[in-house]
Amino acid sequence: MEFHKLSAREIASGVKEGRFTAEEVVLAAIERVKKYDGKYNSIVTLCEDEATAAAVKADEAAASGVEPGPLAGVPFVVKDNFCTSGIETACGSKMLRGWRPHYDATAVKYMKEAGAVLIGKANMDEFAMGSTTESSVFGPTLNPRDTGRVPGGSSGGSAAAVAAGLVPVALGSDTGGSVRQPAAFCGVQGMKPSYGQISRYGIVAYASSLDQVGPLTRNIGDMALLMDVLAKEDPNDTTCDAYERPSFSGALENASLAGKKIALLSGYERGSIEKPLADAIDRAAAIARDAGAEIVEARLPITMEHTVACYYMIALGDASSKLACYDGMRYGHHADGKNLSEMYKKSRMEGFGDEVRRRILVGTCILTRGYYENYFVPATKVRRMIADEFRELFKEADALICPIIPSLAYKRGLVEEDPVRMYLGDVFTTIANLAGLPSMSLNMGFTSDGLPTNVQLLAPRFGDAELLSYASLMEKAAGAPAAVDPEKEGR
Amino acid sequence: MKREVVIGLEIHLQLKTKTKLFCGCSTDYIGATPNSNVCPICLAVPGTLPVINDHAVDLAVKMGLGLHCDIQDNTRFHRKHYFYADLPKAYQITQYEHAIAQGGYLDIIADGKKKRVRLDHLHLEEDAGKLVHPTSDGRLSGAAYSLVDYNRGGMPLSEIVSMPDMNSPAEAIAYVTQIRQLARYLEVSDGEMESGSLRVDVNVSLRNADGSLGTRVELKNINSLKSIERALEYEIARQNRVLDEGGTLVQETRLWDDAAGVTRSMRSKEGARDYRYYVEMDLAPIDAKPEYVEKIRASLPEMPWDRRDRFVERYGLTLEESQQITEQREMADYYEEMVAAGAPAAKAANWARMEVQRLLREDGIDIASFPVPAKELGALIAKVEGRELSNTQAKDVLSAMYGEKLPLKEAMKKCGASGGRLTGEALKAVIEKVFAAEPEAVDTIKKGADKKGAKAKFLQGLVMRETRGSADPAEVARTLAEMLK
Repeated sequence: MEFHKLSAREIASGVKEGRFTAEEVVLAAIERVKKYDGKYNSIVTLCEDEATAAAVKADEAAASGVEPGPLAGVPFVVKDNFCTSGIETACGSKMLRGWRPHYDATAVKYMKEAGAVLIGKANMDEFAMGSTTESSVFGPTLNPRDTGRVPGGSSGGSAAAVAAGLVPVALGSDTGGSVRQPAAFCGVQGMKPSYGQISRYGIVAYASSLDQVGPLTRNIGDMALLMDVLAKEDPNDTTCDAYERPSFSGALENASLAGKKIALLSGYERGSIEKPLADAIDRAAAIARDAGAEIVEARLPITMEHTVACYYMIALGDASSKLACYDGMRYGHHADGKNLSEMYKKSRMEGFGDEVRRRILVGTCILTRGYYENYFVPATKVRRMIADEFRELFKEADALICPIIPSLAYKRGLVEEDPVRMYLGDVFTTIANLAGLPSMSLNMGFTSDGLPTNVQLLAPRFGDAELLSYASLMEKAAGAPAAVDPEKEGR
Repeated sequence: MKREVVIGLEIHLQLKTKTKLFCGCSTDYIGATPNSNVCPICLAVPGTLPVINDHAVDLAVKMGLGLHCDIQDNTRFHRKHYFYADLPKAYQITQYEHAIAQGGYLDIIADGKKKRVRLDHLHLEEDAGKLVHPTSDGRLSGAAYSLVDYNRGGMPLSEIVSMPDMNSPAEAIAYVTQIRQLARYLEVSDGEMESGSLRVDVNVSLRNADGSLGTRVELKNINSLKSIERALEYEIARQNRVLDEGGTLVQETRLWDDAAGVTRSMRSKEGARDYRYYVEMDLAPIDAKPEYVEKIRASLPEMPWDRRDRFVERYGLTLEESQQITEQREMADYYEEMVAAGAPAAKAANWARMEVQRLLREDGIDIASFPVPAKELGALIAKVEGRELSNTQAKDVLSAMYGEKLPLKEAMKKCGASGGRLTGEALKAVIEKVFAAEPEAVDTIKKGADKKGAKAKFLQGLVMRETRGSADPAEVARTLAEMLK
């Protein structure tokens, strides 16, 4: 049986109905990783023994009459910044190489409780800082759609693993686009839920007010299924809202775009977007219109002008704070020094890579007296204005369509030389993090060269269920992306 | 030149919660094995997040209300950054721009005078861990290595910052004493300087004759009330001397060396750190809506100063007596229970201040663990008032109640005081016994040779001793005189 072609939903119902076992599915996934991931380097730690044991246990429980969970037997991977009990969690960094947390992140725990089986940890940019997954201590991940290109980042490993059909679903974290941009580059579906929707407990932090867990799947049905499992309150994370979530899968059943107002973002240079991506926007708008939606134009002048600067002020300021705990004393890379100060300096200099050091330095500067008042404080004000601009927009519209990223997947090695270009590529993704909005990277088919095209779909805060329902309708028209066949030699 | 002393205090109170400020670790750290009260959160293990301890918020609000502060809704925490081994996150979670309690004041009594000390604010923060240096004097200098104990890391503190409204060491001491008293009344903190659950940093400067403010110096490492006084006296003298000699003072932090009795410069303003304060986004703002604040306000006990004034008013005590009795809430409760049991207010006050205090002092125990129930001691004092037994007898009874933990009745029986006063024939029998033992004195008196009455006094003393004070001295004198005629 070709398990790798099944959706998470199909696997779970197959296991539940006894058509196959969780063990068969998990062993097949592990086999596939061993066979093909040498090409992509998407998975940095394969937890074969733990996964097999968990699958056997799930089968035994099912055999003894225990109701299997909604993700029974579904193999999955998580980005390497999700804490996993007893399994190395290195965040793609020399700093945490070899570190084994004693606990599971809440998101991992909820997945396991739903019957899903963790088979490995996915590669990422060091400490989630980057958009190419080239800065990992484990080496770069390659894009399964075209191995000459990057998978995007920072959750590049998670996106690549789903695109390559190694797993049906994966988890990433999204601080400024780190789930949605790699989803776009690898041709899978990626979602950043509303801030406060999913617990951040156990996610090694990048920026507290921006980080959010996001699922990556090959179809919106699986996305909703994962949201049902993941979006719950958590006593360990008080920024995760305690409210009664709707059924996300349920929202797909009565999905309708009829009479909805869908806004198209304007006010940016159409020529600054690569043509296939600009065409994808047109196609998405046409699909929505055909489904009965009214298309309106939206301008977000403050957002478009200030997002990137605002985002980097807030993200880097916070990163310098959250990454200060890596001092070589209790965990992580340690270097001896003549005194405490020298020990700190050496441990941090040796443990962190260039991009992480650059962001810590800039962030420290931003929070320093003088700069704080002139950069950080205005950024927090602009952030509120961006959120207000969206609040106004969503009084008039139900959702917004705009690009995810101006370019198709980058060629490898291209952005390394020009970090500012990489930062500017974040203009469309960071808005969702700054405003706390739910956002979807939705695949819109492929170019003649086989490169994925895509659009971004945004909804009001905590309108995650509606976002999923619109996305499911558009996916029906555009087609859900299939996994690549690694046997066929790609470009 | 006479310069006015200006003092402001920062007091850190360790809040009496069962668990730390942001995690579930025990706060019972005194004597605990180093690093036994720790968890991933207070050790800053990657991925963990703080969760606010609601009880700590309750206690801070309680203390804030006791200090007449305005309680603020929606206040936030900030991160205060610095790299040091006692701080696993490399930032301390504290309140910076938005303290939970703003303003407020405390009326103190120093040198017999009432004075109002205004407060700037009260805020919540977590404590840092503790460094242990393996040198003979426990100091960092010369230590080959240092050990860190994170048991104290994350302990809940409330910092109370006063305005520079105190003008003498005596006022500073009165202020600290009263903060401590309030903290204990409200059961917010143990308030013990010795164990570090109350810590004081002192800011002191001298105001020039022309009214201009002098340079402020902060004093740290002060571990007792006595040290506050000594450190201040030393520092005031030092500052005066520097200025008298035409020198200038620098704004700095100085450490009090208790053994040497001097303050020493620790760091000056020039080297002041930039803590890069900014909002802690891992914690939601603190919810302190008016309904909640009113609920806490309703739970407050009578304030110590209100009680002190009420005792003067209602029981006719002097301010000093009342202050002594209301110093501790438990002692004031004890006193009121004695009065309720029938003890006259003035007598009960004397017993509380003298006898009870003496026993507490002798055995170094606290009124909370004093074994004699207030009701019984009150009843005993009532019996003295009703002339059922003498003061001396009553003290014996109290000793038996205290030392042997006997109930009142049994203690009285044991001391032979349950029969009431010794009088009439029974008294005469005792006198006969004394006469039999001292025939010479009896003879002298009968011969009329006891010119100065010394022998009669001697016999009277013996009778009183024999009756263990249970006879009325006036009756003893009268009966003796009759029998010696």
